[in-house]
Amino acid sequence: MSSAGASTEPAASVDSVESGTPSEESDALFGPEEGSSDLEARLWDLVDEVPDPHIPVSLVEMGMIYDITVDEGDVAVEMTFPCMGCPAYDMIQDDIRGICRPEAGVESVTIEIVWDPVWSKDMLTPEVREKMRESGISL
Amino acid sequence: MSESDASDASDGGETDDAGTDGDGDDGDDGEEGWPEEAIELVQAIADTKFVLSQRYAEWMLAGPSLEDDIGGASAAQDEAGHVRQLFRLLAGEGREQGWLEGNREPAEFANAAPLDAASGSWTDHLVSVAVSDRAAWYLLDSIVHEDFSGLGEKIGEDEFFHLEYHDARLETLAADEPRALQSALGRTLPGALAFIGPADYDDGADPLVDTGFTDRSVTAIREGFLAYFDDCFAGTDVSLDAIDRHAPEIDEWNGTRRRVGEGEIEASTLDQLTGRKNELYRIQ
Repeated sequence: MSSAGASTEPAASVDSVESGTPSEESDALFGPEEGSSDLEARLWDLVDEVPDPHIPVSLVEMGMIYDITVDEGDVAVEMTFPCMGCPAYDMIQDDIRGICRPEAGVESVTIEIVWDPVWSKDMLTPEVREKMRESGISL
Repeated sequence: MSESDASDASDGGETDDAGTDGDGDDGDDGEEGWPEEAIELVQAIADTKFVLSQRYAEWMLAGPSLEDDIGGASAAQDEAGHVRQLFRLLAGEGREQGWLEGNREPAEFANAAPLDAASGSWTDHLVSVAVSDRAAWYLLDSIVHEDFSGLGEKIGEDEFFHLEYHDARLETLAADEPRALQSALGRTLPGALAFIGPADYDDGADPLVDTGFTDRSVTAIREGFLAYFDDCFAGTDVSLDAIDRHAPEIDEWNGTRRRVGEGEIEASTLDQLTGRKNELYRIQ
C-alpha cells in the first residue's frame, strides 16, 4: 500500500518478487528446498501434476505453490492465486487435497492462501513462458 | 490466517446482532485481535465491495458499449474476489461466515450509501460505482495492519484498472452529459463522504490512526478524494461548487454503517447477493 498521505492511486503491477528456492530439477521458481523430506518432494511432484484450469501449465509452473511441508502426516500447502477473483478458487484447492491425500504418510492436508509475496508474471520461468507462448498466450 | 481458520467460524452457530460468534472473544484465541473500530471499517469496505460486485454485474449486459460490458463483468469478478478475502479476515476476527455471506437483514449491511438502490440510468450507475469504489479503495489503502500484507497490494492491482476505467468514463460523460453527471454527483458524493468518515477524525484525532491500524486520517483521505474529483472535472462544464462537500459531524454519523441517517439495500438486492433463488443449483 502507498505510504504517502492521501496519495492512493493503486499500482498497476508489481515488479519485484521475493526469491524462491527452486530445486535443480524443477523449472519453476518455487519447489522443494534442500533438506526437504522424500515425502515433501513427492508431494511437490504430485501437485506439479495439477493443471491450472485456465492455462496449460501446472500450478507449480504457474508459481502458485509457495511451500509444501509435512509435520507428522499433516501436510501444509502455502499457495496464492494470480487472480483474486478466480472462479476456480475452491476447485483448485480441492484438486490439491485430492492428489495429496492418498499419498502414503499423509493424514491431512491444510491449504493456506497467502498474498505475500504478491504473484506476478516474474514468477514464470523462461521455459513456462515458452509453453504459454506455444499455446497462444501472450505475456 | 488459513482457510481452515476461517472455516471454523462458518459452523452456523449462534450469533449476536453484529454477526460475531457469540463467545465474546476476538475469534483468534491467543492472539490480539483488531480494535472494534477496525473490524467495523473492514466490514464496511467488504460490504461495499459485496454490493459493488452486484451493481457492476447488473450492468454488464446493458452498458452503452461492449467495452463497458466487459469492463463491468471483470470488475464484478474482481470485487467478488476481494470480498472473499476480506470476509476471510473478518471471520478470523469472530464474524460468523453465514452472516457475512448475507444471512442478515439489509439494515445490517454497512455498504456505502450510493449503492443502496439499483441505478436506472447508465450515468447514475457509473457515478455511484465510481465514487463508492474509489472511496472503498482509499480506505483500504490506508490500512497498514500486518494481516493486509500483500492483500492490499493485490487488491490495488485490480483497483488500478477500475479507477482508470472510471476516469475515462467520467471524462466522456463530463463532455457528453454534464448536467446528468453533475446531478448524479450531487446525489452520491455526500453518501460517499459519509462513508469515508466524520469531520472529527482529523490528523490529531483518528482512532484507527491512533491504534496504528491505518496510516492516515479520515480527513486526509477525504481531502484526497475531493481533490481527485476537482482535478477530474477541471476545465469541464461539471462543477462541484454547488455540491455538499461537508463531512458529517460525529454525533450524526453511524460508525457501524458509516453513513448518516437510514437507508439500506433493497430486499431484491439481498436475494441476488445470496443467490437464494438458485439454491437448488448450488454445488455443496
